[in-house]
Amino acid sequence: MTAATGRPEGASGTGGSRSARTAPVHPTPVWAVARKSLLLPAFWLVTILLAVGGVHLFSVLREAFLEYPKATALTVALFAVYAVPFWLFVGALDYLEREPPLLLATAFGWGGLVATMVAIPGNTAVHNLLAKVYSPEFAASWGPAIAGPTIEETARVLGVVAIVLIAHAQINSILDGVIYGALVGLGFQVVEDIVYAVGAVDVAGRGDDVGPVFATFFVRGFLAGLWSHTLFGALAGFGVGYLVVRGDRSLARRAGIATLAFGGAWACHFLWNSPLLAVEVGDNGYALIAVLLAKGIPPLLMILLLVRSARHREADFYIQQLVDLDDPDIATPAELRVLSMGHLRANARRHAYGRAGTAGRRAVRRLQRAQARLAVAISRTDPVAVDRWRTEVLAQRGRLRVLGHSEAAAPDERTGSMRRRMLYLLVGIAVMAALCVGVTALS
Amino acid sequence: MRVARGRLLWNLFGSLGILLTLGLIYAGLPALDRSLPADRPVSNARPYKVGGGVTVIPPSGAMIDVTQTRPGPRQGTVLFVLGNVRYVLVVTPFRGDLDAATDRLTRKIVRAGGQRVAGSERAVDTTAGLYGRQGDYTARDRGGRYTVFLVDGVSIEVTVSGSDTELSRVSAEIAASTRSIAYRGGGA
Repeated sequence: MTAATGRPEGASGTGGSRSARTAPVHPTPVWAVARKSLLLPAFWLVTILLAVGGVHLFSVLREAFLEYPKATALTVALFAVYAVPFWLFVGALDYLEREPPLLLATAFGWGGLVATMVAIPGNTAVHNLLAKVYSPEFAASWGPAIAGPTIEETARVLGVVAIVLIAHAQINSILDGVIYGALVGLGFQVVEDIVYAVGAVDVAGRGDDVGPVFATFFVRGFLAGLWSHTLFGALAGFGVGYLVVRGDRSLARRAGIATLAFGGAWACHFLWNSPLLAVEVGDNGYALIAVLLAKGIPPLLMILLLVRSARHREADFYIQQLVDLDDPDIATPAELRVLSMGHLRANARRHAYGRAGTAGRRAVRRLQRAQARLAVAISRTDPVAVDRWRTEVLAQRGRLRVLGHSEAAAPDERTGSMRRRMLYLLVGIAVMAALCVGVTALS
Repeated sequence: MRVARGRLLWNLFGSLGILLTLGLIYAGLPALDRSLPADRPVSNARPYKVGGGVTVIPPSGAMIDVTQTRPGPRQGTVLFVLGNVRYVLVVTPFRGDLDAATDRLTRKIVRAGGQRVAGSERAVDTTAGLYGRQGDYTARDRGGRYTVFLVDGVSIEVTVSGSDTELSRVSAEIAASTRSIAYRGGGA
């Protein structure tokens, strides 16, 4: 590749890049203008649906605020804060090629406003139909496992499809589908949890009491939150991403993979809601944790592996842009390795902090960001952006040299990483112990 | 700034597909649900399991509305229909005393447009030895009676509603049914 053409060897299919062979990336063309979306029917459909969903949610929350002002305010605040680390994590997956914030917000809004609004009557109808066709006992036991995935996964995956229709050029890789799917799921999860928490206050019958809010936050936010709708949405989004991006494969194969991913999301959701391994709050806390882990960890691991693979393949593509420059002032070989992985980037920033203080850490952070933006600009064949980010990279490189820290990489990554992993493990064990105590206290 | 005609059409069909699917979920499934009858006959020869360990002998001639009936191990709901009279039992875990449980039920009634009849509350019991509280309420075009039992951290809410004429016609059957409510096969 040359910087002038912006085409990596791998992208043309002649090179050995893993991303080119197994997961092509389609950079957003320079001519893609966001304003063009205003001319598309999908844009107006989504806008109207978001507005209707917003009014619907407002009316639900207004009633709750009038009846239970303190509990409702706490619920909204708790789950709004709860969404932040999820959002940051999902956003960080796409460090090299960031998605437009407006589209991310649209995905979140679809999940929280549109999918929830549609799912409520749909779920009720499926429950009722199961009760009519089979029995109320069957509906009570299997209704959540059948209605939940069928209605909710469908409503959510349509949000990713809508994003594709509005901004097809922004779906550059399978990872983008994962990110939009995860955010649709996160929006759904947050709003559903808010509705559940307010419902729990109502059911408790103790007036404007915050106890049920904390209980719901604990159970739905922490015990069930990690492997819930965000995860299922990510898996379904993976399928949409594959369908859109893998134009080199036959339509039947792409549709098959997309269906398989949707089926996987459905199956994970089914397993989660299934009465086969049912436990309720009030049962033994340790049993509850064990069952939650048994139901949650397999899909979590499967989806994390898929995301990891999609992420590395996307990183390969963008790093290749910088590799082909063969310019150590832009990125040294060690920095190229660091740039592709989040924990290595963080290690490099920490190492810079240790050697050159806050200024060093800031310069490394800016250098990494500029390198990522430069790689994206090269891939898009955008000469203006290439000049801008090349200048920024060289400026930050100059700053680092002045600080006596010429390379944005940590020499001893393994040790740092291992220490951090041990810390995470200890924190994880402490959290699990606290959860067991908490669940037992709730019972 | 223009969009190619082919892309525009593709976008339009895609948007219609999304709208159609959402419409099917939001309106189509509920319409299908409404088109099927919800009432099922129920035998009063043996106790009916409401859920949460609570049983009741249904009033004679009652039907069950299966859309409002959900039995479960820790909680449950059943709606018996006798003509236009609705006889509902809701069983839920509850932390609190009988006053709080009664207050919770009357709040629900008020939220649904009803009003408690002042001074109408009285103590009630069942043949299985459950003790509770009963009162009357009025709504715009209906009247009714509420009863709350509390046993072993479980509240049993009973609500009967209908017009005065209809209520007086079936009140004996419903009263007998309410007296048959039992928890885990016995009393408290």
